[in-house]
Amino acid sequence: MSRRLPLALAALTFAALFATQSGVGFVRDEGYYFEAAKSYEQWVALLLRAPAAAVRDTGRYWSVNFEHPGLAKLLFALSHLVFTTWLGWLPDALAWRLPALASGALLTYWLAVLGAQRSRAAAVLAPALFWCAERTFFDGHLACFDVPICALTAGVGVAWARALGLLRPWTSSSTPTPTPTSTPTPTPHGLFLGFLFGCALGVKHNAWLLPPVLIVHALLLPAPLRRRGLRTLPWLLLGPVVLFASWPLLWHDPLRHLSDWISFHTQHVHYAWYYLGRELRGPPFPIFYPLVLLALVLPLPQVMLFTAAGAKLLWDFAHRALSPLRLLELGLAGAALLPFMLRNTPIFGGIKHWLAFVALLSPEAAHLLEGSAGLAQRAGVLRSRGLLLAAAAALLPGVWQIAHVHPYGTSAYGELALGIPGAASLGMQRQYWSNNVTAVLPWLNAHAPNGARVFFHEVNVESYRAYQQAGLLRADIQYASGPWDAQYAALQWHREFRDREPETWNAFGTRTPATGLYLDETPQVVVYARPGLPGAP
Amino acid sequence: MWSVPLLAIAAVGASALLFDLSLPLRLPGNRDWAEAAAVLRVRAGPADAVQLWPPWAERARLFVRSVPVRTEEDLRAADYPGVERLWLLALPRVPLAHLARARAALRQRGATAGDEVRFGALSLQPWELHGPRVVSFLTSPLEEHEVDYVPRQCTLVRIGPPGDPGRLQARGQGGVMHVRAGIVGERAYQGFRGPVRVDVQVDGAALATLTVPPTAPSEPGWRRLEAAAPAGEHAFTFLVSARDVDRPFCLSAWTTAP
Repeated sequence: MSRRLPLALAALTFAALFATQSGVGFVRDEGYYFEAAKSYEQWVALLLRAPAAAVRDTGRYWSVNFEHPGLAKLLFALSHLVFTTWLGWLPDALAWRLPALASGALLTYWLAVLGAQRSRAAAVLAPALFWCAERTFFDGHLACFDVPICALTAGVGVAWARALGLLRPWTSSSTPTPTPTSTPTPTPHGLFLGFLFGCALGVKHNAWLLPPVLIVHALLLPAPLRRRGLRTLPWLLLGPVVLFASWPLLWHDPLRHLSDWISFHTQHVHYAWYYLGRELRGPPFPIFYPLVLLALVLPLPQVMLFTAAGAKLLWDFAHRALSPLRLLELGLAGAALLPFMLRNTPIFGGIKHWLAFVALLSPEAAHLLEGSAGLAQRAGVLRSRGLLLAAAAALLPGVWQIAHVHPYGTSAYGELALGIPGAASLGMQRQYWSNNVTAVLPWLNAHAPNGARVFFHEVNVESYRAYQQAGLLRADIQYASGPWDAQYAALQWHREFRDREPETWNAFGTRTPATGLYLDETPQVVVYARPGLPGAP
Repeated sequence: MWSVPLLAIAAVGASALLFDLSLPLRLPGNRDWAEAAAVLRVRAGPADAVQLWPPWAERARLFVRSVPVRTEEDLRAADYPGVERLWLLALPRVPLAHLARARAALRQRGATAGDEVRFGALSLQPWELHGPRVVSFLTSPLEEHEVDYVPRQCTLVRIGPPGDPGRLQARGQGGVMHVRAGIVGERAYQGFRGPVRVDVQVDGAALATLTVPPTAPSEPGWRRLEAAAPAGEHAFTFLVSARDVDRPFCLSAWTTAP
């Protein structure tokens, strides 16, 4: 197996994400990260102009969004600096999102590498199974941290496996041959592992879980590999160095900033979240919440295949039949999911916080899918035909889901939920992050009079500004703080914000919407206009 | 035998696709909604209302403008004060619609069904509620607020401290007095806060008290009180008090013939 296939698949992923990003609204978090990237870009410009001043003034520029490490936002800033500020090639939002799209490509690359340890078909199917679902596809577009940390989790896994000699050499066509020798880890592999772990630390705190997984993995390996693993572990100490280097906020008073970062997440607020007919407001959360949610939002074939993959890995683990690489995949997948089954970890945000669980099951799921075609070959079915049939059956529902729902990814539900209407009847979170508002911006641009005040509800002021900057919203439209203060209201349907709609009726004196976004009949964004204004019913 | 896994995957994929591609056929189009709205425009009277089913099917609001639209979730217990005929506007073919349950709930409260009319994927059916006749609305039925995630016809009343309670006054006929009250929005679920007390007075004399505690699912947040008020016209006063006053509080009251 050569690198060409993973690279080609990565390029394809990047192209697909790039081509479909323009309709994706700016989610609430992106608004904050865009603001942070603007601030960091100013710092980079200062660094180039007056390095000493930049080093002295890190707090002024880097305190924005102190609760997340700097690397991803620094990359957003650098991308904007190069492609928009200097070259003028890309619009602002696309420039900020470019590194996130690249991380999606990297995820494909690493999943293909893991899949390639089984077969060429699994190398293609592993990333395809991950991406062929609107929830994951949508998340791949955002200048956020969820897909980047998912990619880096897979990347750290691949780097660790490479350092331990668990991966098939690129130029060889032989089967994977772990080399449990006493030779020390080649320095480039260990260095790369430490660097990637540092990048993961620099992106999101999910990375804190990686060292425990790798330690346990090393301890469970056969003796020669265990020794190699234990000798490789110290390379992880590079991680904090990369974190420190990529997050200038830590350059002054690091202990205070580290403490602020950690305490923000250990004391994170719990947002109300609608789940099977009840609002979850705080712990204890249902133990199987993340698994049930995955089952309801992903296309049915993926649900079946990921379930089978997880069960097969656990079965083989219980029977001591797991190869070191599959053991690693199981460990990384489990570590991505288990914190959200502790019943007190914040669970808001759909499946984005445990995307790595899905990703790390993908190679095994791909292998099982391919295996079904292999078995059918014994019954006389041509392998190529069997593989094509299996791939089509597994992927087409997801392709349809993307075609049908994109770019409203946080609203997507799969066949087990009986689609978006079924999920509404089941009492599931209708949407989150406010990005669906893009559906009604053209209407507002066309109807709102000059200087109109619009209540955007869940759209924060940062995202509102980003829409104006991107030309998606007219520059004269003003941001109103509530229906009483507005001429138009674009309400995002959330169970927990249900009071906003009657409040708008009372303020506007009408209960008839002017327009809205309705997905399979379910209200997502409902626009009201004061009677007599353009567009009012 | 060897083909079973492949066939299973193919069957799951085909079923999923079949569901996905057929879902739009189960949903109403603009024309269906417009036709249903036109019928309501012609047939519905001033004592009519529309109940959507499932309650989330609020795209109806774009089309139905001639009749008040209700999105109650519990049709058996819901109050429809002043409504004599309820039009059940439903999406019977949508997944998990459970229209039969909605009809059963209406039957359980004594309502009787008229003829159902279909407009594509929409169903419209009138139900005579046979409820008691409203003699006085003591709060405005035009103002609405959310309690328990359902828009309620109720009036916001300031909560005052026990020594200086919020006050709502109205004149109306006596009979059976119905009081409904609840805390609006997410603050209803802040369990650390104390209850809200509603004292009802008729012509200055105490009649009844309703206590509204913080909502603890699955207990309702929309609390009910029924009390007999003397016949004839009276001055009704509702005194609303609590230790924690910074909560939006909504109250609805009306009297019906005994």
